[in-house]
Amino acid sequence: MKKKKIFHRRKVCRFCADRDIIIDYKDPKVLRSFVSERGKIIPRRIFGTCAKHQRELTEAIKRARQIALMSYSGSMQG
Amino acid sequence: MRRYETITIIKANIAEDEIDTILDRMEKIIQEENGEVLKVDKWGLRKLAYLIKKEQQGYYILTEYAGTPAAVNEIERIFKIDERILKYMTIKLQDVYIADEPSKDEDQKESDQEEIKTENSEADAPEADAIDKAE
Repeated sequence: MKKKKIFHRRKVCRFCADRDIIIDYKDPKVLRSFVSERGKIIPRRIFGTCAKHQRELTEAIKRARQIALMSYSGSMQG
Repeated sequence: MRRYETITIIKANIAEDEIDTILDRMEKIIQEENGEVLKVDKWGLRKLAYLIKKEQQGYYILTEYAGTPAAVNEIERIFKIDERILKYMTIKLQDVYIADEPSKDEDQKESDQEEIKTENSEADAPEADAIDKAE
């Protein structure tokens, strides 16, 4: 049996690597890079954020959406 | 006493002094419950990410205060009635209210709940020690 060799690059949580970034719902600029064009939260398996920070992130994004700092659906027209 | 933070979105065409009356009313409710307003931050007009009551813009106000759940209930009840207020959101920052350090610069940082848990760079200040013990 042949074993396929797939290289996994170890992803590092951005918030662990750079402690200066504070996850805060009042700051949509930071949060915007963690949602897709359609406004969906990008899953952990793609971005490699650690569980703790992903949890904080989703909470912050959801709060920001509630208070109209971020849209639920991506662009304004969508 | 708990620490809360409320974001209020007011209609864009409301005059400045009317906004102040809304804030005054809010402050009065907090003080009636022996609370304390810690910070009022007017962000000003901002574009809303989606339409709220067919409005595209809103006047954002962030208030931080120490108060009781009863005060929050009353504030939200009044906000709900008020036609000028598009939306509001209250978030509990601390279960037990701990007073800030007196220095002004730190105030800004301490408002974030995450910030409180991280280590304080001014750990040698006596106030910081008090916070550690209380937690």
